Amino acid sequence: MSPLLLFHLAALLLLAFGLYGLTSRRTLVGMLISVELMLNGAGLALVASARLTPASDELGQLGALLVMGLAAAEATLVLAMVLVAVKRYGTSDSDRLSELKG
Amino acid sequence: MEHLAYAAYGFYLVLILVGGWAAVRCRSLVRALLGLIMTLFGVAGMYFLMAAPFLALMQIMIYVGAVSVLIFFAIMLTRAPGGEAGAEDGGSRPALRTVMALLSGLLPAGILAAVILTKTPQALPLKAEVPLGRLGQILTGPYVLAFELISVVLLAAMAGAVVLGFERRKGA
Repeated sequence: MSPLLLFHLAALLLLAFGLYGLTSRRTLVGMLISVELMLNGAGLALVASARLTPASDELGQLGALLVMGLAAAEATLVLAMVLVAVKRYGTSDSDRLSELKG
Repeated sequence: MEHLAYAAYGFYLVLILVGGWAAVRCRSLVRALLGLIMTLFGVAGMYFLMAAPFLALMQIMIYVGAVSVLIFFAIMLTRAPGGEAGAEDGGSRPALRTVMALLSGLLPAGILAAVILTKTPQALPLKAEVPLGRLGQILTGPYVLAFELISVVLLAAMAGAVVLGFERRKGA
Protein backbone atom coordinates (compact mmCIF):
# COMPACT_ATOMS: atom_id res chain seq x y z
CA MET A 1 0.00 0.00 0.00
CA SER A 2 1.27 3.42 -0.88
CA PRO A 3 1.69 6.02 1.87
CA LEU A 4 -0.95 8.19 0.19
CA LEU A 5 -3.49 5.40 0.51
CA LEU A 6 -2.56 4.79 4.14
CA PHE A 7 -3.07 8.43 5.08
CA HIS A 8 -6.34 8.60 3.17
CA LEU A 9 -7.60 5.51 4.96
CA ALA A 10 -6.78 7.12 8.31
CA ALA A 11 -8.76 10.19 7.22
CA LEU A 12 -11.67 7.96 6.20
CA LEU A 13 -11.53 6.32 9.61
CA LEU A 14 -11.93 9.73 11.21
CA LEU A 15 -14.89 10.46 8.92
CA ALA A 16 -16.55 7.16 9.89
CA PHE A 17 -16.02 7.81 13.61
CA GLY A 18 -17.39 11.32 13.25
CA LEU A 19 -20.52 10.27 11.36
CA TYR A 20 -21.15 7.47 13.81
CA GLY A 21 -20.80 9.82 16.77
CA LEU A 22 -22.90 12.54 15.16
CA THR A 23 -25.77 10.09 14.74
CA SER A 24 -25.50 8.21 18.01
CA ARG A 25 -24.67 11.01 20.45
CA ARG A 26 -27.59 12.48 22.35
CA THR A 27 -26.11 15.70 23.71
CA LEU A 28 -25.18 18.69 21.60
CA VAL A 29 -21.67 18.80 23.04
CA GLY A 30 -21.11 15.16 22.09
CA MET A 31 -22.18 16.00 18.55
CA LEU A 32 -19.72 18.92 18.51
CA ILE A 33 -16.91 16.52 19.44
CA SER A 34 -17.89 14.28 16.52
CA VAL A 35 -17.88 17.20 14.10
CA GLU A 36 -14.36 18.08 15.22
CA LEU A 37 -13.30 14.51 14.44
CA MET A 38 -14.65 14.82 10.91
CA LEU A 39 -12.98 18.18 10.33
CA ASN A 40 -9.69 16.65 11.41
CA GLY A 41 -10.16 13.89 8.87
CA ALA A 42 -10.73 16.49 6.17
CA GLY A 43 -7.54 18.30 7.09
CA LEU A 44 -5.54 15.09 7.12
CA ALA A 45 -6.82 14.11 3.67
CA LEU A 46 -6.02 17.57 2.30
CA VAL A 47 -2.47 17.56 3.57
CA ALA A 48 -1.84 13.98 2.44
CA SER A 49 -3.05 14.83 -1.07
CA ALA A 50 -0.92 17.96 -1.14
CA ARG A 51 2.25 16.28 0.09
CA LEU A 52 2.14 13.03 -1.84
CA THR A 53 0.69 13.91 -5.25
CA PRO A 54 1.79 16.44 -7.88
CA ALA A 55 -0.78 18.89 -6.51
CA SER A 56 0.40 22.20 -5.13
CA ASP A 57 2.01 21.62 -1.77
CA GLU A 58 1.57 25.09 -0.33
CA LEU A 59 -2.10 25.36 -1.25
CA GLY A 60 -2.94 22.09 0.44
CA GLN A 61 -1.22 23.08 3.66
CA LEU A 62 -2.85 26.51 3.66
CA GLY A 63 -6.22 24.88 3.00
CA ALA A 64 -5.75 22.66 6.04
CA LEU A 65 -4.84 25.76 8.03
CA LEU A 66 -8.07 27.45 6.93
CA VAL A 67 -10.00 24.33 7.95
CA MET A 68 -8.48 24.66 11.41
CA GLY A 69 -9.47 28.32 11.60
CA LEU A 70 -13.03 27.53 10.55
CA ALA A 71 -13.19 24.75 13.13
CA ALA A 72 -12.16 27.19 15.84
CA ALA A 73 -14.81 29.70 14.73
CA GLU A 74 -17.41 26.95 14.58
CA ALA A 75 -16.56 25.70 18.06
CA THR A 76 -16.93 29.23 19.46
CA LEU A 77 -20.35 29.70 17.91
CA VAL A 78 -21.58 26.24 18.86
CA LEU A 79 -20.50 26.84 22.46
CA ALA A 80 -22.62 30.01 22.59
CA MET A 81 -25.58 28.31 20.92
CA VAL A 82 -25.44 25.32 23.28
CA LEU A 83 -25.36 27.68 26.24
CA VAL A 84 -28.45 29.50 24.96
CA ALA A 85 -30.26 26.21 24.35
CA VAL A 86 -29.42 24.94 27.84
CA LYS A 87 -30.53 28.23 29.39
CA ARG A 88 -33.81 28.18 27.52
CA TYR A 89 -34.77 24.51 27.72
CA GLY A 90 -32.71 23.22 30.62
CA THR A 91 -31.19 20.41 28.59
CA SER A 92 -28.79 19.86 25.74
CA ASP A 93 -30.32 16.53 24.79
CA SER A 94 -30.99 16.66 21.07
CA ASP A 95 -33.97 14.31 21.40
CA ARG A 96 -35.73 16.74 23.70
CA LEU A 97 -34.88 19.81 21.62
CA SER A 98 -36.97 18.63 18.68
CA GLU A 99 -39.96 20.94 19.04
CA LEU A 100 -40.45 24.20 17.20
CA LYS A 101 -42.42 26.87 18.95
CA GLY A 102 -44.48 29.32 16.89
CA MET B 1 14.38 3.83 8.00
CA GLU B 2 11.24 2.95 6.10
CA HIS B 3 10.24 0.42 8.76
CA LEU B 4 10.57 3.14 11.35
CA ALA B 5 8.15 5.33 9.40
CA TYR B 6 5.63 2.50 9.18
CA ALA B 7 6.00 1.83 12.89
CA ALA B 8 5.37 5.52 13.63
CA TYR B 9 2.34 5.44 11.33
CA GLY B 10 1.01 2.40 13.18
CA PHE B 11 1.48 4.13 16.53
CA TYR B 12 -0.38 7.24 15.38
CA LEU B 13 -3.10 5.08 13.85
CA VAL B 14 -3.57 3.33 17.18
CA LEU B 15 -3.83 6.73 18.87
CA ILE B 16 -6.50 7.77 16.36
CA LEU B 17 -8.38 4.48 16.69
CA VAL B 18 -8.45 4.37 20.48
CA GLY B 19 -9.12 8.10 20.80
CA GLY B 20 -11.87 8.08 18.21
CA TRP B 21 -13.50 5.08 19.84
CA ALA B 22 -13.46 6.83 23.21
CA ALA B 23 -14.72 10.07 21.64
CA VAL B 24 -17.83 8.50 20.18
CA ARG B 25 -18.60 5.74 22.68
CA CYS B 26 -17.75 6.98 26.18
CA ARG B 27 -20.76 7.81 28.34
CA SER B 28 -18.90 10.57 30.12
CA LEU B 29 -18.32 13.55 27.86
CA VAL B 30 -15.11 14.43 29.70
CA ARG B 31 -13.68 11.06 28.71
CA ALA B 32 -14.94 11.60 25.19
CA LEU B 33 -13.08 14.90 25.13
CA LEU B 34 -9.91 13.14 26.30
CA GLY B 35 -10.39 10.68 23.45
CA LEU B 36 -10.74 13.60 21.03
CA ILE B 37 -7.49 15.10 22.34
CA MET B 38 -5.74 11.77 21.85
CA THR B 39 -7.00 11.65 18.27
CA LEU B 40 -5.80 15.21 17.68
CA PHE B 41 -2.32 14.23 18.83
CA GLY B 42 -2.42 11.24 16.51
CA VAL B 43 -3.30 13.45 13.55
CA ALA B 44 -0.57 15.90 14.55
CA GLY B 45 1.88 13.00 14.53
CA MET B 46 0.76 12.12 11.02
CA TYR B 47 1.44 15.70 9.93
CA PHE B 48 4.95 15.34 11.35
CA LEU B 49 5.30 12.09 9.45
CA MET B 50 4.40 13.91 6.24
CA ALA B 51 7.13 16.48 6.98
CA ALA B 52 4.65 19.29 7.62
CA PRO B 53 5.82 20.36 11.07
CA PHE B 54 4.18 23.78 10.89
CA LEU B 55 0.76 22.20 10.46
CA ALA B 56 1.44 19.70 13.23
CA LEU B 57 2.29 22.47 15.67
CA MET B 58 -0.72 24.50 14.52
CA GLN B 59 -2.89 21.44 15.07
CA ILE B 60 -1.63 21.11 18.63
CA MET B 61 -1.95 24.84 19.30
CA ILE B 62 -5.37 25.45 17.76
CA TYR B 63 -7.14 22.18 18.43
CA VAL B 64 -5.59 20.92 21.64
CA GLY B 65 -4.96 24.38 23.01
CA ALA B 66 -8.09 26.27 22.01
CA VAL B 67 -10.89 24.09 20.66
CA SER B 68 -10.73 21.41 23.33
CA VAL B 69 -10.69 24.02 26.09
CA LEU B 70 -13.82 25.52 24.51
CA ILE B 71 -15.48 22.10 24.43
CA PHE B 72 -14.49 21.57 28.05
CA PHE B 73 -16.21 24.85 28.93
CA ALA B 74 -19.29 23.68 27.04
CA ILE B 75 -19.32 20.40 28.97
CA MET B 76 -18.96 22.09 32.32
CA LEU B 77 -21.52 24.83 31.64
CA THR B 78 -24.23 22.47 30.41
CA ARG B 79 -24.35 20.11 33.35
CA ALA B 80 -27.83 19.13 34.42
CA PRO B 81 -28.77 20.55 37.83
CA GLY B 82 -27.65 18.04 40.41
CA GLY B 83 -26.24 15.73 37.79
CA GLU B 84 -22.63 14.89 37.15
CA ALA B 85 -20.99 17.17 34.63
CA GLY B 86 -20.99 15.83 31.15
CA ALA B 87 -22.77 12.56 31.73
CA GLU B 88 -24.77 11.58 28.69
CA ASP B 89 -28.26 10.49 29.43
CA GLY B 90 -27.52 6.94 30.50
CA GLY B 91 -30.62 4.84 30.72
CA SER B 92 -31.26 3.29 27.40
CA ARG B 93 -29.03 3.24 24.38
CA PRO B 94 -31.38 1.44 22.07
CA ALA B 95 -29.76 -1.09 19.84
CA LEU B 96 -31.59 0.36 16.86
CA ARG B 97 -29.90 3.71 17.39
CA THR B 98 -26.48 2.10 17.44
CA VAL B 99 -27.19 0.08 14.32
CA MET B 100 -28.46 3.12 12.45
CA ALA B 101 -25.44 5.15 13.55
CA LEU B 102 -23.12 2.35 12.48
CA LEU B 103 -24.83 2.28 9.10
CA SER B 104 -24.60 6.04 8.65
CA GLY B 105 -20.93 5.98 9.54
CA LEU B 106 -19.85 2.96 7.56
CA LEU B 107 -21.86 3.49 4.39
CA PRO B 108 -20.26 6.77 3.19
CA ALA B 109 -16.86 5.71 4.45
CA GLY B 110 -17.21 2.34 2.72
CA ILE B 111 -18.17 3.93 -0.59
CA LEU B 112 -15.25 6.37 -0.39
CA ALA B 113 -12.90 3.56 0.62
CA ALA B 114 -13.99 1.53 -2.41
CA VAL B 115 -13.28 4.53 -4.63
CA ILE B 116 -9.81 5.25 -3.29
CA LEU B 117 -8.89 1.56 -3.21
CA THR B 118 -9.78 1.06 -6.86
CA LYS B 119 -8.70 4.41 -8.26
CA THR B 120 -5.72 5.21 -6.11
CA PRO B 121 -3.35 7.62 -7.86
CA GLN B 122 0.33 6.91 -8.03
CA ALA B 123 1.91 8.38 -4.91
CA LEU B 124 5.07 10.39 -5.36
CA PRO B 125 7.91 10.16 -2.92
CA LEU B 126 7.63 12.81 -0.24
CA LYS B 127 8.44 16.27 -1.54
CA ALA B 128 10.90 18.54 0.16
CA GLU B 129 9.56 20.36 3.17
CA VAL B 130 7.93 23.70 2.36
CA PRO B 131 9.77 26.44 4.21
CA LEU B 132 7.58 28.49 6.51
CA GLY B 133 8.50 31.70 4.75
CA ARG B 134 7.12 30.36 1.50
CA LEU B 135 3.80 29.58 3.15
CA GLY B 136 3.67 33.09 4.58
CA GLN B 137 4.50 34.65 1.21
CA ILE B 138 1.68 32.77 -0.50
CA LEU B 139 -0.78 33.56 2.27
CA THR B 140 -0.05 37.28 2.19
CA GLY B 141 0.54 37.46 -1.56
CA PRO B 142 -1.86 35.83 -4.03
CA TYR B 143 -4.17 34.42 -1.37
CA VAL B 144 -4.43 37.44 0.88
CA LEU B 145 -8.21 37.53 0.35
CA ALA B 146 -8.67 34.11 1.97
CA PHE B 147 -6.41 35.21 4.82
CA GLU B 148 -8.47 38.34 5.43
CA LEU B 149 -11.76 36.49 5.07
CA ILE B 150 -10.84 33.93 7.71
CA SER B 151 -10.07 36.76 10.12
CA VAL B 152 -13.45 38.31 9.35
CA VAL B 153 -15.12 34.94 9.93
CA LEU B 154 -13.36 34.55 13.26
CA LEU B 155 -14.34 38.08 14.26
CA ALA B 156 -17.96 37.49 13.27
CA ALA B 157 -18.05 34.20 15.19
CA MET B 158 -16.64 35.86 18.29
CA ALA B 159 -19.03 38.81 18.05
CA GLY B 160 -21.92 36.40 17.57
CA ALA B 161 -20.89 34.39 20.61
CA VAL B 162 -20.71 37.55 22.71
CA VAL B 163 -24.12 38.71 21.49
CA LEU B 164 -25.67 35.32 22.31
CA GLY B 165 -24.07 35.40 25.73
CA PHE B 166 -25.45 38.87 26.50
CA GLU B 167 -28.93 37.88 25.42
CA ARG B 168 -28.74 34.93 27.73
CA ARG B 169 -27.90 37.09 30.70
CA LYS B 170 -30.60 39.66 29.98
CA GLY B 171 -33.29 36.97 29.83
CA ALA B 172 -32.27 35.45 33.12
